[in-house]
Amino acid sequence: MSISHLFEEMGLSAPVMRVKLMGASDQEMEGISREMAIGLSLDEMKRVQEYFAKEGRDPRDIELEALGQAWSEHCCYKSSKYIMKQNFMNRSFPQALITSEDAGVVEFDDDHAYVVGLESHNHPSAIGPYGGSATGVGGIIRDVVCMGAQPIAVIDPLFFGSLDAREEEIPEGINHPKYIFSGVVAGIRDYGNRIGIPTVAGSVNFHRGYTGNPLVNVGAVGIAKKKHIIRSRVGGPGEIYILAGGRTGRDGIHGVTFASADLSSDSEEKDRGSVQLGDPIVKEPIIHSCLEANEMGLLRGMKDLGGGGLSCVSGEMALDGGCGAIIHLDRIPLKEEGLKPWEIWVSESQERMMVSVLPRDVDAVMHIFKKWDVEAVIIGEVVPEKHVKALWEGEEILNMDLDFFTAGPEYCRVTLPREVSREILEADIPLPDRGELEASLLVLMEDPNICSREMVFRTYDHEVRARTVVKPYVGDPFSPGPSDAAVLKPLEDSWKGIAITTDVNPGMCEIDPYRGTLSALDESIRNLVSVGARPHSLTDCLNFGNPEKPDRLGDFAMACKAIGEVTDHASIPVVSGNVSLYNESELGAVPPTPTMMMIGLMDDVRKATTSDLKESGNIIYLMGRTRREMGGSAYYRSIDAGSDRVPDLDKQLMMDSMEAILEMNSDGLLASVHDLSEGGLAVALAEMCIGGGIGLDVNVRDVGSRDDRGEEMRVDTRAFSESNTRYVIEVEPREALRVEDCISRHEVPYTKLGTVLGDSLRITSGEDLLVDIPVKVLDHAWRGGMKRMMEGSQ
Amino acid sequence: MKVEDIRVCILRMEGTNCEQETFDAFKRLGASPEFVHLKQLEGRDVGGDEARSLDDYHILMFPGGFSAGDYIRAGAIFAARIKASLSGDLRKFIEDGKAVGGFCNGFQIMVELGILPGMDGTMSEHPEAVLHSNDSGFFECRPTLLKHTNRGRCVWTRDIPIGSIRLIPCAHAEGKLILPLEEADALYERLFDEDRVVFQYCDRSGETNAEYPYNPNGSRFNIAGICSERGNVFGMMPHPERVFYRHTHADWYRNKVGSEEGDGQVVFRSVLNYIVETF
Repeated sequence: MSISHLFEEMGLSAPVMRVKLMGASDQEMEGISREMAIGLSLDEMKRVQEYFAKEGRDPRDIELEALGQAWSEHCCYKSSKYIMKQNFMNRSFPQALITSEDAGVVEFDDDHAYVVGLESHNHPSAIGPYGGSATGVGGIIRDVVCMGAQPIAVIDPLFFGSLDAREEEIPEGINHPKYIFSGVVAGIRDYGNRIGIPTVAGSVNFHRGYTGNPLVNVGAVGIAKKKHIIRSRVGGPGEIYILAGGRTGRDGIHGVTFASADLSSDSEEKDRGSVQLGDPIVKEPIIHSCLEANEMGLLRGMKDLGGGGLSCVSGEMALDGGCGAIIHLDRIPLKEEGLKPWEIWVSESQERMMVSVLPRDVDAVMHIFKKWDVEAVIIGEVVPEKHVKALWEGEEILNMDLDFFTAGPEYCRVTLPREVSREILEADIPLPDRGELEASLLVLMEDPNICSREMVFRTYDHEVRARTVVKPYVGDPFSPGPSDAAVLKPLEDSWKGIAITTDVNPGMCEIDPYRGTLSALDESIRNLVSVGARPHSLTDCLNFGNPEKPDRLGDFAMACKAIGEVTDHASIPVVSGNVSLYNESELGAVPPTPTMMMIGLMDDVRKATTSDLKESGNIIYLMGRTRREMGGSAYYRSIDAGSDRVPDLDKQLMMDSMEAILEMNSDGLLASVHDLSEGGLAVALAEMCIGGGIGLDVNVRDVGSRDDRGEEMRVDTRAFSESNTRYVIEVEPREALRVEDCISRHEVPYTKLGTVLGDSLRITSGEDLLVDIPVKVLDHAWRGGMKRMMEGSQ
Repeated sequence: MKVEDIRVCILRMEGTNCEQETFDAFKRLGASPEFVHLKQLEGRDVGGDEARSLDDYHILMFPGGFSAGDYIRAGAIFAARIKASLSGDLRKFIEDGKAVGGFCNGFQIMVELGILPGMDGTMSEHPEAVLHSNDSGFFECRPTLLKHTNRGRCVWTRDIPIGSIRLIPCAHAEGKLILPLEEADALYERLFDEDRVVFQYCDRSGETNAEYPYNPNGSRFNIAGICSERGNVFGMMPHPERVFYRHTHADWYRNKVGSEEGDGQVVFRSVLNYIVETF
């Protein structure tokens, strides 16, 4: 059906089309939405039709484009909001100062707040890995800056398909995981390094489920004086809008509508224009100039132009301040001639910031931008009527009621949580002998999801700003082991520290999204507690499939339930977050991936503990309970065994262990601490040996108890179970009694494992020697794993 | 003069980004550092009290970062802008015996400017060396051990005992010092003979022929930093400002020495002592 008769040039000074929506049939409205690629459903188009009928006119193309963007899943969370509200949104905690904007603002000390945000840049990174990931960093940095905070850290959890995927496994039009991986890492490196903000934490995960749709989540943390915190809203009518930074171009058009649909085989071709291009050397002066103007008290409101562009920002900033706005669209500096008004209005070009300024301060603000060579233009003003209007050479080309424009739909869609039996059903796997256990441990050490990521992390500057106290790798400077969390000292005059971790285990979430999410949260808490920080706030990035499919949304609901339960129990506020749906390709949905970014605080960074073993003769304890819950474990993956019994979470034990360790940390009793995660006890011990460059002699006879079927714990379960809430601690012999007393007082089960000793990892169970591998061999397997994987896949 | 009267120009343009920690280092030792945008020295787009002159300062510092994005070649754009408008002032600054220092990108800028190695005079017309891509082909953010091998010429390290080994991290993609190939041997010999090699990468036993990762970029003779003939102009690839304090060392928690002083602090103290004594 041709629908060209529904579009009519309006004969204005700019090319604007009238769209004949009045009297259009259902079929015609669907056709309009499809033709314009604005992603509005028939019901949504009907709402639009109704609004313009009341206005007594047809909409212009630019108005429909604006609505398509504002009402996209990405901008208004129409499928996810209802479920999140039910589970964890709108809770109030004293430390959470502002949770309603792009980045959360949380109390750091009496005078300072930290600002934290986490976003996905999944679809752009699938099409243009380098530009997609770079602009992801840029976007989240702007979110932090626009609250008035100096960014101090970048964090990037990444998820890719297997690097050794065969060409025939890759659907047409989709890039090979290796290409995406290299491009994404290079994008983060070049952008993050150039803007001078350290990349201090993150993760690199490989799973076949990401082959068709990689996930690139990017987080940032900033610090600000409380008095400099600024909101993303105008102060009142009469203020002037100044647009500063990069020019507006065709890049990034339809970015959010593209993010709100599945990836398809022609995405590569069709959607390339949706990928924004970043320029770190424009960004860096923007950070300086915006913060300088803000600290001088010259700004009333500030908001970055991310997904949604000028359209969303000019409307939302005004409405949140109880006002409206008039924008002179012909004044926007362009990258190239010939952009149509609607393209300018919805473009998501990078490195742009909008500030709202009192008329008397305009000159001072413009001077600051000029000093930094940042292009800035007065583009409009704030008005009392809650309307957004766009003018072109004085002629009105857009006029919408802001309440209507910004009130995107909210759906309570059907959810179908998956059924998980959680029984111990796995067929009996033959009990491994010593040789097999040793072989399994070495395989795990070089497992794609366990091996050292130094190859990636050394290409990110994680120390610029000179405030990184615990770095991504700890231990011997020339042969370090993994760090549980990064610790920064954000202020010059205070020892107070901020710890950052990001976690999720897709292998577990894929089997059981509820327990998988519980495990991700527990792991976040473990990582923070391991370095000696008290968990303080959570930011999440919830990456799931198409919410219009009830099973996908069921997974999402289960993850939200887990987040609500744990954050309530531990009194950790969810201060900001991002939902990324439609992560699907023709290979299906990605594994449910609720990425957690948790922030912890500590009074004195000099009390931070690390995972590397410190001294021969020290005693090693295991804290927590070991169970036969091998679902999603790295060990089962390595021996190709199946189980859907993903580790459960005992929330009381989680809290008790946390208190016990923080007390021991505060008393200076701990030489090292490491949490148990992928690969369980054996891998954790090996990692501690690697970082310390020293061996261990441990006995695991007392690890774990009888399982649910009354059977004695198998040796491989003792070695590799990934049960939650477990820590290994290293203690000087003279502190052993105090340590045992403290752990008992907190009612946490523990086992004395053995001693730091020699240059091999020796694990026995009773009299049986299970593992005896030189630390050098473990080090070689772990450190070179990723390089061999890259080379092996060529 | 008194240390609090020492004015330090922390020069920046778009893309310099180690300026805060460099500023902090001087401030903590009691000097008076100031952020100065290149435009303030050039006199472009500046208001009434914003213009500055190099003459106002005793120390000129080129901080690390990615000036102008390091597009074209690391440091090339920053250097070209300085040469265009400030070469006379800079030459006088150096010839007056004032101190000029650069770390990482700052070192790259100084080489592009021709003030390092400065084999024949204060400032050469064309660069006499280049900081080339690391042998690994990657950006390398890692700890490095530096052996101080300067016999006393360099005013930025004169308070460091010769042979002393320091843990100072690097973070760069282009840090391999290369001298013109046709006369390289003679030039290296001159650098050593004239006591202009300041730091060399080494391993734990202090060997200055140690390879990657001890030498992160493949620099010949493991050279990490050099100074001018007079010793007042100094550049190095690693970042002493990142280890001003102990708690930012890569392994502070492994050997707690009971002091807060980091291995990089003495670089700043040395140059301040030099200025105090000289002016």
